[in-house]
Amino acid sequence: MLLELKNIFKWVNSGSQRIFLLKDINLSVEEGEFISVMGPSGSGKSTLLNVIGMLDQFDEGEYYFFDESVHKLKERHRSNLYKEYIGFVFQAYHLLDDLTVYENLEMPLLYKKYKGAERKAMVADMLDRFNIVGKKDLFPAQLSGGQQQLVGVARALISKPKLILADEPTGNLNSKQGEEIMDLFKQLNEEGVTIIQVTHSEKNAAYGSRIINLLDGRMVK
Amino acid sequence: MFKNQLKIALRSLLKRKVFSLINIVGLAIGFGCAIIVFLFVSHHLSYDKFHLNGDRIYRFVTEEQLDGIHYSASVPPGFANAFKEDYAYAEKMAKVVYWGDEVLTIEDRNLKINMDEEVRFVEADFFNIFNFPLINGSHEVPLNEPNTAVITEDMAERLFGQEEPVGKAFLFGNKELITVTGVLKEFPVTSDFKSSIFISFPTLKSFSRFMSSESWGGISTNLMCFGLLHPNQDIEAIEKSIVAYPEKFRPNSKNKHVYKLQPLSEMHLNTTYGGGINRSTLWIFSLIGVFILGMACINFVNISTGQSLYRSKEVGMRKVVGGVKTQLFWQFMIETLLTGFLALLAGIGLCFLVLPWFNSVFELTLSMGSLLNIVAIGFILALLGLVTFFAGSYPGVLMARVAPISALKNQLSANDIGGSNTRKVLVIAQFTIAIILIVGTVVVNKQLSYAMTSDLGYDRSAVVMVEIPTNDVLPVQVEGLKERLSKFSGVEKISRCLASPGAAYLEWSTSVQYNNKAEAEEFSIMVKAGDKDYVDTFGIPLVAGRHFVEKDTLDEVMVNETFARKVGITNVNDLLGKQIAINSGRVKASIVGVVSDFHDQSFEGSINPVFIGPLVDVYNEFAIKINMAQASQTLSDIEAEWTKLFPEFVFNYDFLDERVAEQYQKEQQFLSLTKAFSLLAILIGCLGVYGLISFFIGQKTKEIGIRKVLGSNLGQILKLLTKDFVVMILLAGAIASPIAWLVMNRWLESYQYRTQISWWVFVLAIGGVILITMTTMAYKTIKAANADPVKSLRAE
Ligand SMILES: Nc1ncnc2c1ncn2[C@@H]1O[C@H](COP(=O)(O)OP(=O)(O)O)[C@@H](O)[C@H]1O
Ligand SMILES: [Mg+2]
Repeated sequence: MLLELKNIFKWVNSGSQRIFLLKDINLSVEEGEFISVMGPSGSGKSTLLNVIGMLDQFDEGEYYFFDESVHKLKERHRSNLYKEYIGFVFQAYHLLDDLTVYENLEMPLLYKKYKGAERKAMVADMLDRFNIVGKKDLFPAQLSGGQQQLVGVARALISKPKLILADEPTGNLNSKQGEEIMDLFKQLNEEGVTIIQVTHSEKNAAYGSRIINLLDGRMVK
Repeated sequence: MFKNQLKIALRSLLKRKVFSLINIVGLAIGFGCAIIVFLFVSHHLSYDKFHLNGDRIYRFVTEEQLDGIHYSASVPPGFANAFKEDYAYAEKMAKVVYWGDEVLTIEDRNLKINMDEEVRFVEADFFNIFNFPLINGSHEVPLNEPNTAVITEDMAERLFGQEEPVGKAFLFGNKELITVTGVLKEFPVTSDFKSSIFISFPTLKSFSRFMSSESWGGISTNLMCFGLLHPNQDIEAIEKSIVAYPEKFRPNSKNKHVYKLQPLSEMHLNTTYGGGINRSTLWIFSLIGVFILGMACINFVNISTGQSLYRSKEVGMRKVVGGVKTQLFWQFMIETLLTGFLALLAGIGLCFLVLPWFNSVFELTLSMGSLLNIVAIGFILALLGLVTFFAGSYPGVLMARVAPISALKNQLSANDIGGSNTRKVLVIAQFTIAIILIVGTVVVNKQLSYAMTSDLGYDRSAVVMVEIPTNDVLPVQVEGLKERLSKFSGVEKISRCLASPGAAYLEWSTSVQYNNKAEAEEFSIMVKAGDKDYVDTFGIPLVAGRHFVEKDTLDEVMVNETFARKVGITNVNDLLGKQIAINSGRVKASIVGVVSDFHDQSFEGSINPVFIGPLVDVYNEFAIKINMAQASQTLSDIEAEWTKLFPEFVFNYDFLDERVAEQYQKEQQFLSLTKAFSLLAILIGCLGVYGLISFFIGQKTKEIGIRKVLGSNLGQILKLLTKDFVVMILLAGAIASPIAWLVMNRWLESYQYRTQISWWVFVLAIGGVILITMTTMAYKTIKAANADPVKSLRAE
């Protein structure tokens, strides 16, 4: 088992009201799965992804990642955990505008104590794999949306994560670009990477092996 | 990693050009000030630090206790030898006599120069106490014989050109032929003993009988006495043992002497005894340097925290891909370090530009080259480190703390990017510093103009002072010259005198007996020697009696009103006809006139009892009131006539008002510096305000959505900001005013006659800051309103 959520609740207090963002989420994910999370806007998809990615806290429940009890970990350990095992892909790409493609890919490695030569090899590998060697010295603003997302995926993959969390990765792309990204995910999944993606598109959801539906923070069947 | 961070830091600086520039300019000014202050302070601290046994060298000084305590950096001429004979404390003793205003002639070279203040008469042991070697490095300086001298390399070249100076002679004061016996290495700039001609002490006899004697009768500030003590002496014990000296050598004097030992290291830093600068002045300068640098750091903090709003996405993203707090913190510190380093380079550049001005104000020769030593480089690096720490750590911590998800969603609150309260406190601190500096500048300026324009009690405009260079002509000849000079149409009045009424040099203070009393009075009297035209030439009003008449022997004199008060007389007319004796009864006369009080020392001192009389023997100068409309013609007429009587001397003159102004040199310097510093503080403050306003406008733009803000809402933002800033400035004013008041009052206390710190000074400073801030704000807002909002959003 890769991860398991047990009775996860997340809420915010607004005045005397308590607004639930996640309600009693129970989910277990095996290694190698490809899961699509669906649901209307505001149903808590992103929140769920952020909780899984440990970028966001939850208020109640238990979360196991491999054998670690995430709910008991200190922030430092949590970030070590996600740093090692999880890659993120965002709808808005979130590349750093100041950095070239090459540097954007290199950045995660800088935080992981790889040696210079190692980093170089790993970045070169990625550029090669994604066919963007020629773009390595360009800045994000000089790329099309599809290319930016390609870089976004490459960045998520570079430190060889076990799990990729993708929040509407094709949301800003046209259908052809979107298809490319989805093909890429499929391929990655076949190589053994676990993927959880948020999507609005039935077609994209079909790439996955399992669909989770959310409504008002609650999983529905 | 470091290289990578540096590259990224550089890029991020370039991306936010305006803010980087503001940061760099602000910090550069701060560094520049700090470096100049460092140069200045370390220059003053390095005076006479190079003497081998510096810690054992002392100057003997005197506290004269009469009407109050008067500090004199000298002792009576007899002190040195008595001390050497009576006690075994000192290994060596040496007397040094400062001698100036003497003409030096070398006939075969056709050379005639006026030596203003470069000549010393010294005992040979001077060169065994201090470390001023000959050019061959030897400390065996041959200076025992009468009519011998050693001179410095530069002076040797000036006097003898390329010829070998040793064995050559020059004529000094048209009196003594003096042979050069050695050439000294040039003196370091940082020595208070810097001069160029050292004549053997036995030669002094024919120039000053008093100073070459073993007298205990008085003190001449021109004579100083130094001792090299044996190691490990108890200074207090020495001072205790010489307490007996006054009783032994001057039993009848009302002027009670207390002799003290001043360590060499104190000599330059204690103005009580005529040192170059006060420790407290050095502290004030250092503090101002710290203030300015602090202001620049505050700017940096403000602008950087403001920037973090725009950078939060970057920070959030870095966290998502695995950056932990410490890494992000250090990344920002490296950026700060880079900014600081660039600013440091710019600051050093600024120093190069400003140093010539600074040197000319303070009459110094500081050079950037003197920064090339371990201490200075260490200081500068430490400064860079400290500034990086103070400027970078707070915004760094804020950035590292950013929660990644809210950052990516652009949901950061004002608190995440540094509470607005923190920022307000910082801005208030900046304004406070600026207001203190402005108030300081205004007060110094006010005091200076008060002192320079206030009535000294005598007229100093259009009065030319011309020297009477020698005593070798007869008094009648001098009088004849006066007669001839007074015939020129440009000469309105002329008088022979010792010195002008308020001259700081040639002060003559002595005991006085009034009305045939046997006892001397409790106070001493200032003697102004001048002929019958003295009071008219200087426009000193007569309040009772008449001018004295000059006779062959002195018998009529005048006094001032303070004298009347001191002897307990209310109606000055009661003084007329009374006897007065000064100088231990050696000069006796009757009072025929009373003049109104005038500043008989510099403006700073209190007014003393004054004696004015025709003491022919001591006349040293002509005071000539001229018609300024034909000044140059008159001056050349005077020169021609003067040279006829004194063909062997060089004609020199000074305008009295310029001489008086020179007495305020220290204040002038202080003023120039406070002006410069407060200008810089204001400039840095403006940069800060500019940065802050940019931040606010940017923030509002972001908050409200993009386009419409800058149009309709701009007015609202501006109103809000204006209110905010005015409140902050008023608060700063409330903090700054009492501090400035206290500090400046302390400063003013050293002046007997001083200006008031009026309320308007504070209003001016606070109002000025408000005005400047508003102007900066208006400028920035108008610029923002005219810019394409989308573009401006991106650029910042
Ligand atoms: N920090 C928060 N405070 C208050 N409400 C929040 C917060 N984060 C998310 N929400 C709300 O929770 C709901 C779920 O948001 P989200 O997970 O982004 O939905 P989705 O991604 O499915 O569109 C939304 O209504 C959103 O407004
Ligand atoms: Mg969402």
